[in-house]
Amino acid sequence: MIIELKKVSKRYGQNGVGFWAVRDADFRVSSGDFVSIVGPSGSGKSSLLHLVGCLDRPTSGSILVDGVAIEKLSDAELSHVRRERIGFVFQQFYLNDAMTALQNVLLPLELARVKGRVELARAALADVGLCGKERSYPSQLSGGEQQRCAIARALVNSPEILLADEPTGSLDSESGKNVLELMECLHATRGLALVIVTHDPSVAARAKTHVVIHDGRMQ
Amino acid sequence: MNWILRANLKRRKARLALTIGGIAVGVATLFALLSFSAGISTALERELDSLGAHIIVLPIGCPYSLTLSLMQGADTVEYIDETSLPQFRAVDNVQIAAPVVVGRAKVNGTLTPIYGTDMQTSQLKSWNLATFDGAVVGSKVATDLKLAVGDTINVSLYAPITTQVVKVLPVTGGRDDTFIFLPLADAQKVLALQGKLSAVLVRTADVSRVSETRTALGHIMGVQAIPPNEVFDTLVGILATVRQTMILIAGIAIAVGVFTTMNTMIMSVQERRREIGLLRAVGATRHEVFNLFLTESVVVSAIGGVVGLGIGYLATLLLPRASGMGLDAPPQYSLAFVGICLLVAITVGAVSAVYPAMMAARIQPIRALREL
Repeated sequence: MIIELKKVSKRYGQNGVGFWAVRDADFRVSSGDFVSIVGPSGSGKSSLLHLVGCLDRPTSGSILVDGVAIEKLSDAELSHVRRERIGFVFQQFYLNDAMTALQNVLLPLELARVKGRVELARAALADVGLCGKERSYPSQLSGGEQQRCAIARALVNSPEILLADEPTGSLDSESGKNVLELMECLHATRGLALVIVTHDPSVAARAKTHVVIHDGRMQ
Repeated sequence: MNWILRANLKRRKARLALTIGGIAVGVATLFALLSFSAGISTALERELDSLGAHIIVLPIGCPYSLTLSLMQGADTVEYIDETSLPQFRAVDNVQIAAPVVVGRAKVNGTLTPIYGTDMQTSQLKSWNLATFDGAVVGSKVATDLKLAVGDTINVSLYAPITTQVVKVLPVTGGRDDTFIFLPLADAQKVLALQGKLSAVLVRTADVSRVSETRTALGHIMGVQAIPPNEVFDTLVGILATVRQTMILIAGIAIAVGVFTTMNTMIMSVQERRREIGLLRAVGATRHEVFNLFLTESVVVSAIGGVVGLGIGYLATLLLPRASGMGLDAPPQYSLAFVGICLLVAITVGAVSAVYPAMMAARIQPIRALREL
C-alpha cells in the first residue's frame, strides 16, 4: 500500500479567520516504512497524520491511496479505506468506557461484519499482551493496558499502515517504552507501515525516516 | 450491532429510564383510551341488544337520555299514557309491544332497579315463563340479595308489595343482571306510576318493514319511536367526539414524548462526539452512524411502548369505570390496540431520532477528536 501526498495544504477556519495547518506537503509512506513526524506543538504534525490517514480531506493538493485520488472517493468509500487498510492509535486511547476491552477491539470488526470476529478480537488482545483482560472495562485497565487495547483495536482488521498520534504521550516512561516496543515488534513481524507523531526525540530516533514539520511546512 | 446498542443504553441508566417513562405515559394513555372506548361501545351495543326490540317507543323528550334511563333503570319525568298501548299493538307489522316502567325501589331493604312489564317481555327476552305473576330476578341481584326461586320479597317505595321469586335469570353480562322484573301493575304501584309507562318495546313481524312501522308508531300522539341502532349510532357518535378529544390529549402526551426523546438524543449526540469521531476513524460510514442513533432511539421507544402497554393495562384495571355512560363497561382489549400503540411508540422513536441522527452523521471525525 502506498499513500502519497502531493502539494497538500490544509486550512482550518473560514471567512478570513483561520490558519494553514499544513502547507504544500509532499509525503509518501509505503508498506514496511517506519516514519516519525516531529515538530513543536501546533506545528501541524497531527493534521498531517490525519491527512495521511484519510480522516480529513486537503484544502488543496492531492492525496493518493495506491494511485487513487481520495478527492474522487465518496465519504463511504473513504470510510472503507480507513476500515480495511488503516489503523489509528491516539494519545488519549479513545476507548469506549461502556464497553469491555474485547468489545472495544470488536468495534471495527463489527462495522466490517467480519466472520469469526470474537476469535479475531481475542487474538488481537493476546497479540498485545492483554490475554485474560477481555472482560475488563477501560477503567479497570492501567494507562499502558488501555493503549495496548487501543493498538489491538487498530490492528484487528489487519491494516497495512498504522498511524499513531503521540501514542506514548499519556503514559509513564515504562509503559511508554513497552507500547513503543510492541509497535516496533508489530511493524517488524507484520511488515506494517508505522507512522508516529511524537514530541519525544527518543521515540523519533527509533524510526527509519524522520519528518520535521514547522508552522505546517515540512523541513 | 446489538451489543454496541446495549453497551450504549447501559451507560446512562437514569436518562434511559426517564426517556422510556416519557414514552410510556403517552402510550399508556392511548392504550387505556382505546380499551375504555371499545368497552363502552360494546357495552352500549350489548345493552341495546338486550332490550330485544326493533323499535323503542318513548315519551316526547331527549330520546338518548330516555333510552339510557331505560337501560339503567333510572327514574324519568316523562311518561307514556298506558291507555295508548292498544294503539301501538294495533299498528300494522307490530308483533310484540311490551310496556315497561322502570325506577328504583327497596327490595328487602336494599335500593334496587326494578322493571315492570308484562308477559310480552318474557317473549322478547325468551324467558320461557308460563305465567308472569311474581318477581323475575337478575343473576347479580339474586347473588347480592341471596334470592332463590320461591323466596318471598318485599318491594317498597311509595307503596309496599310482597311477591315471590318465580325465576332467577342466568348471567347475561348486561343490565338485566341488575334488575328485578315485576308484573307491570305491581311495579306501577310501588313507583306510584299507575297508568304510566317509561317505554314500550316493539318487535316487528317483518324486520324489513321496521322503517314504515316506526313512522306509523311515531304518528301516535305523545310518543316518539326510535330504532335502537339509531340510538346506538348517536351515542357512539357522542362517544367518538369525546374520544377524539381524549386522543388529542393522548397526542399531546405523545408529542411531549417526541420532544423528550429528541432532546435526549441530541444531548446524547453532543456527549458522544468523541465516540462518534472514533467510530468514523475506525471506518464507520455516515450512514452507519445515522443508523446507530436511529436504532437506539427506536429500541428505547419500543421499550417505552411495551412499558406503556403494561401501565395502560394496569390503568384500565385500576381506574374506575366512570366514563361508561352509567353502563357496566369493562375495558375491551385487542391485539390491534397493542399494534397501534407499539407502532406509535416506534414512530415516536424514529421521528424524534432523525434530526439527532443526522447531526451525528454529519460530525467530522477530526473535529470531534480534536475537541478534547
